[in-house]
Amino acid sequence: MSTPAKEFLHSAAVKSADLAHRSTIRTGIDHYEAAVMRTGARFLDWEAAREQCRAVKWEAVNHLDKYLLEFESRVQDRGGHVFWAETAADARRYISELAARKDVRTVVKSKSMVSEEIDLRQDLEKQGVKVFETDLGELIVQLRDEPPYHLMTPAMHLTRTEIADLFREKYGGVESNDPQHLVDIARRALRDAFFSAEMGITGANFLVADSGMVALTTNEGNGRLGSSLPRIHVVVTGIEKVIPRMQDLAVLWPTLARSAVGQSIACYNTLIGGPRNAKEADGPEEFHVVLLDNGRSELLADAEQREVLHCIRCGACLNVCPVFRKIGGHSYGTVYGGPIGSVLMPHLGGLNKFQHLSFASSLCGACTEACPVKIDLHHHLLQNRRNAVESAERPFGERLAFKLWRWMMMAPKRFAVLGGAARAGLRAVHALGLEGTRLDPLRPWTKTHAPPAIPAESFRSQWRKIATK
Amino acid sequence: MQQNDNPGRGRILARIQKGLRNPAPKHAPVDKSGAIFAPIVDPLDRFQKECGQNGTECLIVPNAAAVAEAFERLLEPIPPGEIFVQDAPELRPMAALRRNDRSIRWSTEGRPAEQSQATVTLAEALVAQTGSIFVSAACGGRAASVVAPVHILVASIQQLVPDLGAAFERLRERGAVENNSMLCLITGPSRTADIEKIIVMGAHGPRRVVVILSLEPLS
Repeated sequence: MSTPAKEFLHSAAVKSADLAHRSTIRTGIDHYEAAVMRTGARFLDWEAAREQCRAVKWEAVNHLDKYLLEFESRVQDRGGHVFWAETAADARRYISELAARKDVRTVVKSKSMVSEEIDLRQDLEKQGVKVFETDLGELIVQLRDEPPYHLMTPAMHLTRTEIADLFREKYGGVESNDPQHLVDIARRALRDAFFSAEMGITGANFLVADSGMVALTTNEGNGRLGSSLPRIHVVVTGIEKVIPRMQDLAVLWPTLARSAVGQSIACYNTLIGGPRNAKEADGPEEFHVVLLDNGRSELLADAEQREVLHCIRCGACLNVCPVFRKIGGHSYGTVYGGPIGSVLMPHLGGLNKFQHLSFASSLCGACTEACPVKIDLHHHLLQNRRNAVESAERPFGERLAFKLWRWMMMAPKRFAVLGGAARAGLRAVHALGLEGTRLDPLRPWTKTHAPPAIPAESFRSQWRKIATK
Repeated sequence: MQQNDNPGRGRILARIQKGLRNPAPKHAPVDKSGAIFAPIVDPLDRFQKECGQNGTECLIVPNAAAVAEAFERLLEPIPPGEIFVQDAPELRPMAALRRNDRSIRWSTEGRPAEQSQATVTLAEALVAQTGSIFVSAACGGRAASVVAPVHILVASIQQLVPDLGAAFERLRERGAVENNSMLCLITGPSRTADIEKIIVMGAHGPRRVVVILSLEPLS
């Protein structure tokens, strides 16, 4: 039977041997790193920015009920609606029923990882609503019928040539693979949808408690159009996105922009707090915020890992991760990939189903160092491993092997005897010509690595000889 | 939303409150004495430099009369067709001055047409730190800053603040937070980096953002 763990191992093995894929990812990450280097100078003290962002998120997450209630009451004062969804199904049902009640035929959607988490587009399409992904990267993966590859850059795995071929097939009128030309084609393709859609759906980067406004960061302007033109605007987001004060954005906005794409600040940082006012020229007649729990309150109860809810979904930990760079975003088989996904998925989707991801890490700590809100990601991976072992989610063979290992390591004699036996056994395997076959116990390692020579004698006996000279 | 229509609300809040009884590890208090961002010595100079980098065109003019002149010159190369103008006392005389017979849609007549060639609005604040412009729904509505290929903003130096923190204070003091359903900090023309992480200017929003900045108050 295929399990998520087996699929992960298979896909990771295939992708890490795909050199064209590696080179595409390398190109994207090189552009990202160059941009981060350029904007880095805008921060006099990057470390202080990270600490302040962490402090803001810590305060919010550790008083989550208080700030959510403040946010809710201020949104309601502005004439908006707030719906609390315990599960993905609750959120889908609320939005689907709203769409049906309001006779919505077309939806323009901005990029939102929470909408991916709850399969919102697929659900609306099932009831006959036409849904346009309007973020360029999301549009590309929608046209390819694929999930997003990366939190921030959904089509990172594709070259401009592949995107040009895709647009040629779907839209026509493609004259070159120049990114500017491709962006123009997408703009034209979506223009009518923006002006005819009855509902715009966006995510949220932050929910500002003291003002009852949703903060939405975009570069393309698609989120701006989707929250301005249709008569209904729906925000779908996680309960952990709330922050105490608007003033906190003075550090959060530049920090998010730097970590996400290496900008000093994103092009559009929008705050939306309800439907249009009577005296405003335009804007939606209805404004709904769907607050999704879907496992977040369980993660909140785990004090050791609570700070995982600080995540601002910038994707920086993916970009620096040596594992992500080799295996790519689709291998994870999860909505949230990379280090943050490996930490988060066991909480959102079940330890049993997703614990294997926490083992697919070298624990190098690059993610922790990159995180703009200072989440201790690699230690949380270790805690997930510990939790998986403690709740007996690991295979019987592995548990037995570690029991034996522990028993062996507890006495020098046992270590010496079993070490000698292992060397002798390996020599026998080699003598029989079984090296590299399925009977070679080192095969899982040596099939992708050059094996070291088997030493003639143990370190301990070599040491004894030197020491007695 | 009536609370009895949403039984999940109480259950989520109860789980949050229960979960928080177990405290998370605390971190050392943040030392806020040091500056996170480089200090801004000359806001106007910084604003111009940042605009240069983010693609905002910044035209500095001495007074309101010169704003109208700059506006005329800006309109010349823009293809024929309707423009959208925020219905504000500061912008009415400019529109009257125009030499061509371009038709104007005022914000009091509804949102801009899809085919608008340019939109013209006021701003709430200008931010030197990032070369950004804060607009609100009062600045001609929500779509005014995002529908047309060119967005022209008319502002005065009295609206320039050094950094984002000061901008939020200004908005709050002037009632812009309570009185608007939308605020937006705009930094240059719309863009995307979704293809190979290469920045391409001009996505769904304007390709040109122009701020005409008067050194004297507008009215």
